[in-house]
Amino acid sequence: MAKIIAARLLRLLATLFAVTFISFMMTKALPGDPAVAILGQDGIQNEELLLELRAELGLDEPIPVQYVTWLGNAVRGDLGESYINRGQSVAGTIGQRFPVTLQLALMAIIIALLLAIPIGVIGAYRQGKWQDQASSAGVQVALSVPNFVTGIFLIWLFAVKLEWLPASNWNRISDKGVIANLKTAILPATALALTQMAIFSRLVRSDMIATLQENFILSARAKGLSDRFILFRHALRPSSLSVATLVGINFGALLGGTVIIETLFAIPGLGFRLINAISQRDILVIQGITVFIATGYVIINTVVDLFYSVLDPRIRRS
Amino acid sequence: MTRTLSKFLALLFTFAMIAAACGSDSSPDDATTDTTEDGGGGDDDGGSDVTTGDVDDDDTVVEADDETERSYGGSIAVGLEAEAVGLRPWEDACSSPCYNIFVTIYDKLMEQTIDGTYEGWLAEDITPSDDFTIWTMNLRPGVTFHNGVELTAQTIADMFPIQQEGSQSSSQIAASNLAGVEATGDLEVTYTLSQPNSAFPAFLSRVQLGAVFEPAAAAADLDGFSNEPVGTGPFVIESRDLDNETVVVRNGNYWGVDPQGNQLPFLDQISFRPIPDEGTRLDALLSGTVEAMQTLRQGTIRDARAAVEDGEDLTLLEFQGNNVGGGQFNVLVPPFDDVRVRRGLTQMNSQENVIDALGGTGISLPGTQWYSPDSVWYSQKVADAWPQFDFEAGSATLQEYIDDPERSDGKAPGEPIDVELSCPPDPTLIAAMQVIEQTWSATGNVNVNLTNYDQQTHINYALGAENGFVGEHGAHCWRWSDDNDPSVGINPFLAPPTPEIAEAAGIPDIVSPLNFSNWFNAEAFGAAVAATQTDNFEERYALYEQIQLAIAEEVPIWYSGHTATMIGTVSNMQGLNGWHLPNGTVGIGFTNAEGRWAEVWLN
Repeated sequence: MAKIIAARLLRLLATLFAVTFISFMMTKALPGDPAVAILGQDGIQNEELLLELRAELGLDEPIPVQYVTWLGNAVRGDLGESYINRGQSVAGTIGQRFPVTLQLALMAIIIALLLAIPIGVIGAYRQGKWQDQASSAGVQVALSVPNFVTGIFLIWLFAVKLEWLPASNWNRISDKGVIANLKTAILPATALALTQMAIFSRLVRSDMIATLQENFILSARAKGLSDRFILFRHALRPSSLSVATLVGINFGALLGGTVIIETLFAIPGLGFRLINAISQRDILVIQGITVFIATGYVIINTVVDLFYSVLDPRIRRS
Repeated sequence: MTRTLSKFLALLFTFAMIAAACGSDSSPDDATTDTTEDGGGGDDDGGSDVTTGDVDDDDTVVEADDETERSYGGSIAVGLEAEAVGLRPWEDACSSPCYNIFVTIYDKLMEQTIDGTYEGWLAEDITPSDDFTIWTMNLRPGVTFHNGVELTAQTIADMFPIQQEGSQSSSQIAASNLAGVEATGDLEVTYTLSQPNSAFPAFLSRVQLGAVFEPAAAAADLDGFSNEPVGTGPFVIESRDLDNETVVVRNGNYWGVDPQGNQLPFLDQISFRPIPDEGTRLDALLSGTVEAMQTLRQGTIRDARAAVEDGEDLTLLEFQGNNVGGGQFNVLVPPFDDVRVRRGLTQMNSQENVIDALGGTGISLPGTQWYSPDSVWYSQKVADAWPQFDFEAGSATLQEYIDDPERSDGKAPGEPIDVELSCPPDPTLIAAMQVIEQTWSATGNVNVNLTNYDQQTHINYALGAENGFVGEHGAHCWRWSDDNDPSVGINPFLAPPTPEIAEAAGIPDIVSPLNFSNWFNAEAFGAAVAATQTDNFEERYALYEQIQLAIAEEVPIWYSGHTATMIGTVSNMQGLNGWHLPNGTVGIGFTNAEGRWAEVWLN
């Protein structure tokens, strides 16, 4: 097991190096000059100022030198300062934004599971019947509709028409309490959740169909246990392994996948900051958030891999 | 269980179907206020419109309600199209969204009135020397900053070193010819200019040079001041949660009163929230998530009007100012270095169709110059001279270039020209580009290549810092002008774009990277300079008319329409329309969707 962990950690380091290098080069390849973005249209009238600012930001150094400098600082935990919001550290920005994105992703996963499990179970239990066909059709639609379209619909329905929930922005728990926070979180989380729900429910259904063929289920039925008891107490657990794995992987993906929804709902998470940073050519913020998201994703995948090894001896042996 | 599930699935299915059919009428959009075209704007009578339920109301009304009794208290949330990157007037690039915040925290020295002139705000008066190189200003007494420090002439003098170092202020110092600031009395400030500038008060009405900040607090923490600004304005910063909410609260010691003598401000609190998506921002207003929202997009104005038609109880404050959209040709790059190409392409461009594609039909008025028809600087002579849509004439003009053996692009006679038409990736802009492409391509003489780059890249390509500020653009979406004094915007546009051109013109020290089209006309630039050496309106009008006529003749740029902007509010919000200067004069209104919030009250 120690060998496996060591191998995974090595792979993790190599992946992170590749991620930082590629993302650094990609941000450098973006057309546009951060110094121009900082100075704005009024400021760029002064060419001397432009050149001075480039030198101050180290933008006049060769790109490999810039990367090595950035990497050297990054491994010491210093991701630099925002070019645009001077004095604000990138690490501080991430620290402030990450809880928002994390909450959204967690809520999306929870909502998705709350919807997916009953839909998947019923689909399996009523396989081929109208309930199964209806749920499959609904799931197919949920898979097909982009989450920003769902988001627009949710705003229209719950904010504009029903006026139950706010259309945008974010109430922080620390400022406005849990209820106010949930009011601003529920719509974007639901918009994110529906696609996940569709994927999870398909998986639960297919695994559950296989489980329901097992002898222990037949035995339970023979004992006269109720269908609901059999489905949720006996069949669901062995049918959940694939979903549990996928939840881990998709959770990692969601951390980096909230960009559009955060922008649509004006939520101050990592994704919204990333989009603003890109438009402002705030290179260090782009780089810091990208690396943070990539690291989170890689770590979660590594944990899932290790978890799998623990659960399945065949993987461990191979 | 089965029945519950069936209901749930039916609901889910219905929802999904509606969602799929609903589509997106509010695509994610640029988060920044740009200088590039987002379409024309305006309405048929120009100026400002207030719509309250009746969208056919064509009255131009920037006027205050002086009759109704005001009430104090209450808080509002305002949806902005982008976040203010910082709140330092001298340093942070700022445009329409953040100006809304700035004017709550800072007072400016001067302000613009409804007739376009400049009068004192924190300044009581300002007087020039005969040659417009010395300006003597007297400050209003009894004004204190949010931290209790008193405003004196020395404050203004102490601001100057910080402004000289600021990326925003330093360029305004250069543009205004400002050389020094001195406290010549307790409340008397003397500005010394290196060159005459009759429009200097206009610069003191701009945030970069005119917003008064507490210099000692700024010097103590130049970066921290961005989030904890100290001004003399009607509101005090309460909290700033970047990308989410900036909250300002009532300044209990504010010096200002309205014309009825009511102490300002009326509101207890304003929360400014960046909501970049146009559709969400309008939905936020419709749902009561915010009490006011701004937009610079014609499509959003159209949707807001439709909502009012459908019975939504909103007040729409529309403003069609001097900002005009369109595009520019890079005249240093073939084939755009030939006026026949520029004029031909412009004449082949149907403004009406472009405005329609931009969602501005019924909102936008086609542009012929930098000034809208209700501006004091508008010229009918220029409007008549502008090359209007005439496909046949345009095609014939272009054909002359196509058939010219000496054509500048090096192609053989008869070969079509290549045009790269570039705009930011806004859906309405893309639709407008496609209209232009179809028209230009219809002749068979133009190969059009459409490109879209994000806002920053778009600006950078036009700026061209990498190639001596010539730029890499061909035909480039853009927009020009604003409601400031004409000299503020037009001088950088007309100045020599490269050192070589400046040298050849005999003015080697004057180079402007902001001349994005790279068009230089010595006479037009001379007129722009001359216009800063007189304060006689008729003389200045004639000089700016001469400039606009030169643009119409040489066509370095083309126009779609004037940009309409709007602030939408809930109907019980009053006082945004027709704010006042301290002397009781009505202010210019809500240009570029920039509200003045001190006189706003909830009815």
